[in-house]
Amino acid sequence: MKSSLKFFCLAALIACSLLTASNAFAAETIKVGIVDTYSGPASTYTNDVRDAFALAANKINAAGGIFGQQIEFVTRDSKFKVDLGLSAAKEMVMREEVDILMGTINSALALAISDFAKQEKIPFLATFAKSAKITGEKGHRYVFSMNENTAMIGKAAATGLAKLPYTTYWIAGDDYEYGHAVAEGVWENLKKLKPEVKLLGQSWWKVGEPDFTPYITAMLAEKPDAVIIATGGRDCVPFLKAAQTTGFNKQVPFYMHTATEISTLKPLGLTAPEGVIGTANYHSYYPDTAENRAFVAEFEKAYDRTPAVGALYGYITAQFISKAYAKAGEVDTEKFIDALEGLSVDSPVGEVTMRAEDHQVMLPMFMGVTTKVEGQEVLVASDIVTISAEDAMPSLEEIRKARQL
Amino acid sequence: MELFSGLSFSVLCIQILVGLSKATILFIVASGLTLILGVLRIPNLAHGSLYMIGAFTTYSIATAFSQSSLGFWVALLLAPLIVALIGLIMEQGLFRFLYKRDHLMMLLFTFSFTLVFGDLVKLLWGSDYRSLAVPEIFQGSYTLLGMPFPRYNLFLLLLGPVFAAGLWFLTNRTLLGKISRAAAVDREMVGAVGINVNLVYAAVFVLGCYLAGIGGALVAPTQNISQGMDHSIIIEIFLIVIIGGLGNVWGALLGAVIFGLTDAIGILIAPQFGIVFPYLAVISVLIFRPKGLLKSIW
Amino acid sequence: MIFGVFDKKSLPLVALFLVGLIFLPYAVPRFYIYLTSVILVTGLLATSLNLVLGYGGMYQFHHAVFYGIGAYTTALMLTKTSLPVWFAFASAPVVAAFFGLVIGLICARLSSLHFGMLQISLGSLIWAIVYRWYDFTGGDDGIHGIPVSEAISTTTSAYYFILVITALCLLLMFVIIRSPFGRILQALRDNPERCEAIGVNITRHRIIAMVIAALFAGAAGSLFVTLEGSVFPELLSWTLSLEILIMCLLGGWFTFFGPMLGACLIISLRTFAGNYTEYWTLILGLMMMLTIFFLPKGVFGFINELFRSGSPSQPLEEGSNAAD
Repeated sequence: MKSSLKFFCLAALIACSLLTASNAFAAETIKVGIVDTYSGPASTYTNDVRDAFALAANKINAAGGIFGQQIEFVTRDSKFKVDLGLSAAKEMVMREEVDILMGTINSALALAISDFAKQEKIPFLATFAKSAKITGEKGHRYVFSMNENTAMIGKAAATGLAKLPYTTYWIAGDDYEYGHAVAEGVWENLKKLKPEVKLLGQSWWKVGEPDFTPYITAMLAEKPDAVIIATGGRDCVPFLKAAQTTGFNKQVPFYMHTATEISTLKPLGLTAPEGVIGTANYHSYYPDTAENRAFVAEFEKAYDRTPAVGALYGYITAQFISKAYAKAGEVDTEKFIDALEGLSVDSPVGEVTMRAEDHQVMLPMFMGVTTKVEGQEVLVASDIVTISAEDAMPSLEEIRKARQL
Repeated sequence: MELFSGLSFSVLCIQILVGLSKATILFIVASGLTLILGVLRIPNLAHGSLYMIGAFTTYSIATAFSQSSLGFWVALLLAPLIVALIGLIMEQGLFRFLYKRDHLMMLLFTFSFTLVFGDLVKLLWGSDYRSLAVPEIFQGSYTLLGMPFPRYNLFLLLLGPVFAAGLWFLTNRTLLGKISRAAAVDREMVGAVGINVNLVYAAVFVLGCYLAGIGGALVAPTQNISQGMDHSIIIEIFLIVIIGGLGNVWGALLGAVIFGLTDAIGILIAPQFGIVFPYLAVISVLIFRPKGLLKSIW
Repeated sequence: MIFGVFDKKSLPLVALFLVGLIFLPYAVPRFYIYLTSVILVTGLLATSLNLVLGYGGMYQFHHAVFYGIGAYTTALMLTKTSLPVWFAFASAPVVAAFFGLVIGLICARLSSLHFGMLQISLGSLIWAIVYRWYDFTGGDDGIHGIPVSEAISTTTSAYYFILVITALCLLLMFVIIRSPFGRILQALRDNPERCEAIGVNITRHRIIAMVIAALFAGAAGSLFVTLEGSVFPELLSWTLSLEILIMCLLGGWFTFFGPMLGACLIISLRTFAGNYTEYWTLILGLMMMLTIFFLPKGVFGFINELFRSGSPSQPLEEGSNAAD
């Protein structure tokens, strides 16, 4: 019994030390908790969100904060795992007592956090997760999306593609929710805008597919006018590489969301294929306005790299937070949400608005074609066509239907 | 199913060739694993990490020499040697003391290496993904049966038999190979006849790691070099080694070919469930031949 | 021998712990109640793995599959049917046990690594189906906002529900380990040849052990739904399986409470170290290496040995502590 008592004391001691490890109460700050993937390939995108958010928050703080309160943020690495991320989100709400949750490129995690945020009545600002369910089917009062979603990609791409002279299409993509949602979005909208289009067939590959050559050969054999590639994130790079190796881009024009985006083009350098049609919410060189140039200069000075699309999401999130609190006049969740609905902020791509009805940010989409430019290490988008946010947004009718209202 | 109806002979042929070129890399990496498994009895989960380190090192060396067209080839030579050196340090510093431990313990010990290596790679190279250009002479593709076939894949396809022959020579015709095969069967006996078994073990371990490094270097120009490469390959090569017969280099070859082909052809038959075919192949092999297709040393 | 088994000496201690856990919600902030719930659920899963791994000596490499099946069963019952809540919870272990039986029938005649790898293949197949079958399982997005009964929806009530079920499961597993069946299982681990010689059907015993382990893993899965209200394909991933293997190792896999301690150690590490660094997996890796080098029987195994040295009358063979 004596020895077991000794052990019990030891265990109690460990338990106590764990408890005291909890943080002291925070001072008068507005606390934002960011959960995102900072390990593995997805961090190429998420680091920009966090860094641009930090940059904007520091600027707001330096200017005196929001009615005197500083923005403070804590981050947790979810390692692209839903269980880790959800635990971390709960930890930040329960222990760190954050006022706002933000983040995540992982749609499954975003949906899980969204549900938790609804129960806890904590605003959740989703950055980079592309699932249309976040503000569509599963939308609620406490969730906001700070980026384009699969429904918007589909609509924007269809608007752009409808103007091009192609009629027979092939669809291929990542065999997961994002790929299917984008493909379906583009195709349904394209059929509406241009009824004569014809789908020759589809092929789907697993996420993380190392070799695209077999799929490309199969697509070439069918001789479509154009191909829609519904691939996201890290698979964009190897696909473009395979397209260049097999000469796919020279034989068939193809569209891919984010193909023109710097995160996709930078790893490939000058070996990236030319003539690929892509869409993106942001380019560091377009729109060529004073606001954008200032934003790029500031970001480059702070982090020594060119801001990619994630930087836009991080930046507008900080702007929305600060402006909504300023409008609410106090740190109160319900007033914050009321203020955020329908709010407009200035951004490098012009004024953007948070749609009041579904909490989806209204961002314009830029469609362009990859081109080499003399003296530059990375390809850029040329012949840029701007698809306005109004054209890309799903209609309120569609949202109501998805939410079964 | 659209693809299936449009399946022509030439597409099938190209698909098989692509599957085989993928099998080459799997074979090279898996043969290293099977050597270590057969001789040292270490189920080395860190093998995938060494493969990843090989790819990252290749990227760094090749970009350092990017002015010269030889960058990739210098990297192909050096990177596996660096990986082999890491292997030597692992074996001499740690594994050597643990040979008497049970397999499960060794498995978890090597798993802790995957955690450590994963984070070290992130510390050294950051978490962004990298992409390496295909060496100049293999850029572009040939046209076979009216279909484009990348030159680099052809290079890989030719490399497979070279490595198979080299490993056959090494295990069957050299003293090291003979001793290590004997040590795999009866360690005490080999020690009793006055051979330094520890030296043999170290040599085999280093060779295995070298092969993982080569695999990583060869795969670098074809895909994203990123964290998580280790996880995606390790299960595949373990399954290959198991269906081929533990410790059997020819088994690794056979397993890699089965894996590469079922993957490539599965894509054609049912693209939605392409991911399932290699697993189905493994399950059917193990149900009918629980010890693997070829003679297992275990 | 204290934590190897409940015996006269350790019974009051276990009771004390249990009382401590019952009063925990009155003593600590809400987050720690949640964290303890996570530890209990994961610890239950790890303990169920240890039943076949530590006591049965089987290379159960893909145990998380049964956990995921249990979680999905409860989630699907709650979202797609209007069956009563208790039925959704009760069916999880049953469905998981059924899968345990199927996988057991296929794998059990194989040994060591072959057994483990075949299990990984079969498990990956189930994972792929869950990951791909959008209409039924929600695919890679998973199912969120699962309507668990009102009675167990707050952090504290969920905690008590989890505590009661976990305690019951642990008690049942303990009884199983002490039963004649449990003793045969341990004998099979230590000396399969001799067991076969005296007429024990090795394969049948292994299959039964897998079914039992799957049953408890399924129960842990349904508790996960109570706790998080979400399910997703990662619950069936082999990385999770490896994680729980590590928990067994760290805590000590020849001891009954070892896996629970391992779960506590790893979850605390990732929660608290994760606040300060993204590199907590590096720390975990180094911790594991040190454990394997210096404490091959895990923390509890080490403590057992420490206390045993004072009473040399106890048998010293490996695994005997578990067999009492």
